[in-house]
Amino acid sequence: MSSKAKIMVVEDNIDETKLIKMALEPEGYEVVTVINGKEAREKISAERPDFIVLDVMMPEMDGFAFCSWLREKSEFNKIPVVLLTGVGQHIYDTKYPLKGVMEADADEYLEKPVKPEVLLETISRLLKK
Amino acid sequence: MPKLPKLNCWEYMHCKYGPEGGKPCPVTSDETSNGVNGGKNAGRICWTVTDTFCFDKPMGQFSEKRDICFSCDFFNHVKKEEGSQFHHFKLAQGVKGTHELHDTISNIEHLFTIHEGLCSHFDLNETLREITSDARRITGAQRSIVFLLKGDPASLFGEFSVKGRKHQVIIKVDESSAVGYAAQHNRVVNLRDLYKDSHSMNEIVFSKSFDKQCSCVTHSFLAVPVQDSGERVIGVITAANSKKGFFSADDEWFMRTYATEVALAVEKQKFLHQSFSALRLASIGETVAGLSHCIKNIAHALQGSSYIIKRAIDSNNVRDIKVAWEILDRHIERLANLSLDVLTYDPSAHKGELGTSLNDLISHVVKLFQEEARARAITLNLELGEGVDPCSINARGLYRCLVNLITNAFDACPLSEGVVTLLTKRTGEKELMISVSDNGRGMDEKSKAELFNLFRTSKADSGTGLGLPTVAGIVRDHKGRIEIDSAPGRGTTFLIYITELPISPSSDTKLNE
Repeated sequence: MSSKAKIMVVEDNIDETKLIKMALEPEGYEVVTVINGKEAREKISAERPDFIVLDVMMPEMDGFAFCSWLREKSEFNKIPVVLLTGVGQHIYDTKYPLKGVMEADADEYLEKPVKPEVLLETISRLLKK
Repeated sequence: MPKLPKLNCWEYMHCKYGPEGGKPCPVTSDETSNGVNGGKNAGRICWTVTDTFCFDKPMGQFSEKRDICFSCDFFNHVKKEEGSQFHHFKLAQGVKGTHELHDTISNIEHLFTIHEGLCSHFDLNETLREITSDARRITGAQRSIVFLLKGDPASLFGEFSVKGRKHQVIIKVDESSAVGYAAQHNRVVNLRDLYKDSHSMNEIVFSKSFDKQCSCVTHSFLAVPVQDSGERVIGVITAANSKKGFFSADDEWFMRTYATEVALAVEKQKFLHQSFSALRLASIGETVAGLSHCIKNIAHALQGSSYIIKRAIDSNNVRDIKVAWEILDRHIERLANLSLDVLTYDPSAHKGELGTSLNDLISHVVKLFQEEARARAITLNLELGEGVDPCSINARGLYRCLVNLITNAFDACPLSEGVVTLLTKRTGEKELMISVSDNGRGMDEKSKAELFNLFRTSKADSGTGLGLPTVAGIVRDHKGRIEIDSAPGRGTTFLIYITELPISPSSDTKLNE
């Protein structure tokens, strides 16, 4: 299911969104972009993505909050999610002491800087599952 | 009706540490207090005795247990019984009567004032100055030095000033001097005639050389040990006077009590110093973590854009090359800004870079932004105040400040209608003001409060999060302040007030950065 799969990119940084889109589209993916978890929540029913690339630190609704919300919805909780973040484990543990990758229930956690090849390989692998 | 006997504390409290008990409390044997408040030994002035056994354990010195003692039933009982004859503290020998009682109460008030004074300092040197000043006031001494134990093996280090010049004194902890003896044996030494009573010739030699520098003659010398909470001697306070027999038993007693306050103040300084060091380390850790986050985000964008460019070159996709190149370029600049901000955030990085013309500096920076202002259709105004120059400023730091503030102002401006105004003014003999204002969206109170948080940026694409904290650091260097006038929909004005720096002989504004 890798070609024509629709990927929702949830990221508030315009440059990063552009770069992810430019990396994914030539590989045959359809890419929709939203700027934070709140917009993702509003648009997910209409867009029905097959995969979500999710930044962690975003205004209004961060990646952890969105991921937790997603897993509570039966119609969406099977969508593979990869979390991207520049927050190191140290700050991760202090800023989000009650949350973690396991609690957020993402499928994969990639720490920035992420090579586009690694992101592509991760998406391909998780979509095949 | 027969008069009830005056009860001593061990009798009133039915305490097992009375004189007949297996382990009598120190109160029962303190003969120096015999008769005070009508008690046996210190039986009715027990609050002044160190390490009483009130709660089955040594209670420490008066300063540590004072609050408990003053709220104790027995204290209040004795106070009520004695009425106007009540003694808070034992008086010096031969001193009696209401006049001396008032002296005693004023002594207590004096002690509390001293306590407050000592606690108000955050710098050890200021505390030591306060101590010697208090010692002179308390005893009427003409000179006073505080010695603190340092080094391994420990010696007593003291400092005094004569005609603005500092002199250091180092004394061994042994019996060769009154100071050393007081430290070694934890005893007060009161020399009433130095040239007759001194412990050794060393003392006289020391005093003579000390006297020579002060142009005085010491005859009376008092050395009082300072103990910490663990009863270890941490120093000695000395007082000197040219009259013979100058320091009384009262002075000895008061100085001992005062020494307790001194110990607390010195311990507090050490604790503060350790806490600040720990805070600095924690702050460094936080800064490094925040920097790491910032750098990671920039590296992420650089990696992504270089990947796209490489692939676009292979497939001859010029459009993608252009888009990715712009992103790459922007993040290279962001990296450069980050390193500059980090450098300028560190105060030690810009010592000695003094400039003499604030107006020239601002004019130069404005010129640098003209091109960008034209490209973004921003009107950039400059109003230079009269009398601002010449002045003494940190040119490099203020250059960075201005770049950060103007960049922020530009980013805040509305599209095609932006107006940014810079203004300089002399607001005092040594005070200058720089104002940077924009006609942007303005800020609410929450945003204003978070403005100077490290690595907090509202500019996901370009901010380093260090700009405003850097500005704050540079303004602090100038002993200045920042005021922000902003409200949603009303634009923002930053008002920077700085105090001129001490003038250096060679100072030219370094404009070509």
